[in-house]
Amino acid sequence: MKALSVLYDGLVRKNPTFVLILGMCPTLGTTSSALTGMSMGLATLFVLVCSNVVISLVRNLIPDKVRIPAYIVIIASFVTMLQMVMQAWLPALYASLGIFIPLIVVNCILLGRAEAFASKNNPALSAVDGLGVGLGFTAALTLLGAVRELLGTGAVFGARVYPEDFGSLIFVLAPGAFIALGFLIALFNRLTSRQ
Amino acid sequence: MKSTLTTMVLSLTALTVVLGALLAWVHNLTEEPMAQAEAKARTEALTEILPPFDNDPAADRTVVDGLTVFPARHGGAFSGAAVEAWSDNGFGGRITLLAGFDASGSLTGYRVMSHAETPGLGARMGEWFSSATGSRSVLGTAAELHVRADGGDIDAITGATITSRAFLEAVNSARNAYESYLKSISR
Repeated sequence: MKALSVLYDGLVRKNPTFVLILGMCPTLGTTSSALTGMSMGLATLFVLVCSNVVISLVRNLIPDKVRIPAYIVIIASFVTMLQMVMQAWLPALYASLGIFIPLIVVNCILLGRAEAFASKNNPALSAVDGLGVGLGFTAALTLLGAVRELLGTGAVFGARVYPEDFGSLIFVLAPGAFIALGFLIALFNRLTSRQ
Repeated sequence: MKSTLTTMVLSLTALTVVLGALLAWVHNLTEEPMAQAEAKARTEALTEILPPFDNDPAADRTVVDGLTVFPARHGGAFSGAAVEAWSDNGFGGRITLLAGFDASGSLTGYRVMSHAETPGLGARMGEWFSSATGSRSVLGTAAELHVRADGGDIDAITGATITSRAFLEAVNSARNAYESYLKSISR
């Protein structure tokens, strides 16, 4: 039961993007299409689950005063591994996400979950927390990417919905990211506050 | 755990040693697939951007003006070459690309090999400059290229003029190297 509530927390009640408004840099930067948004979300999900489990495993072995550097070392190691694995087996995806993969290291969601959850809970529950928050992040980025791609280019995941000429380019550009995100947050709050 | 100097130093040292070893292991594991992926991407790119060839351009490569030239031959006759060129003036740093030319010197294709441009903006250069829309395409041209804002006649990527400039700079330097290469083989 606890695991389910932790999962629900990450996905909805404490959704990193729509409720906590964390990790805005990759959120705004990589969601110009649904596919890049989803890929970024999944990459973050992977690092988040791995780092949460490892941090939870070593939580009683790390002295309090050096816990933050220790967490950063763990997170950075997983990001570097992900980077090498993607370069080896998914070079096209790696090329499309560019600088945002190494920047996962400084995504505050990861350090936030490490400090707020993994350092206080057992590895299994921390894995569930990482999964929940990661899926919440992935869902939010995919949704935002889909909305921007649809309004900007008339397609979702590359599948055409209406002709490209009717799309308004601003949604693919940076200002559109802020506008679309603002409306999605408002919609999300409206839907969740009713309950 | 209590934070004394000994525990702090020991725990951080142990952590970095273990993670360092893990990283080394993953690096070893991915080194070969990474090189293979790179070689495969290059072969694919060469096949796509060059006129038909039956030699191995990667094996016949030479260096002209500091740039690598991959000559293509068909039935022994020279049919064109691809040049690996780059520009350091991209929005996110270096843009590396392969540009293919036929024997008459017109651009037959290009492939962006690596870049750090913004996804959705500059990163669209792969499709943008080969698209038939408006005056985006750089294919089939034989002259030096500039974006409209600089007095040329190529449409820059919307919202990514810096990327467009850097891209064309790389294409132009590839063309210059190709012309030097043509001179050197006709001599």
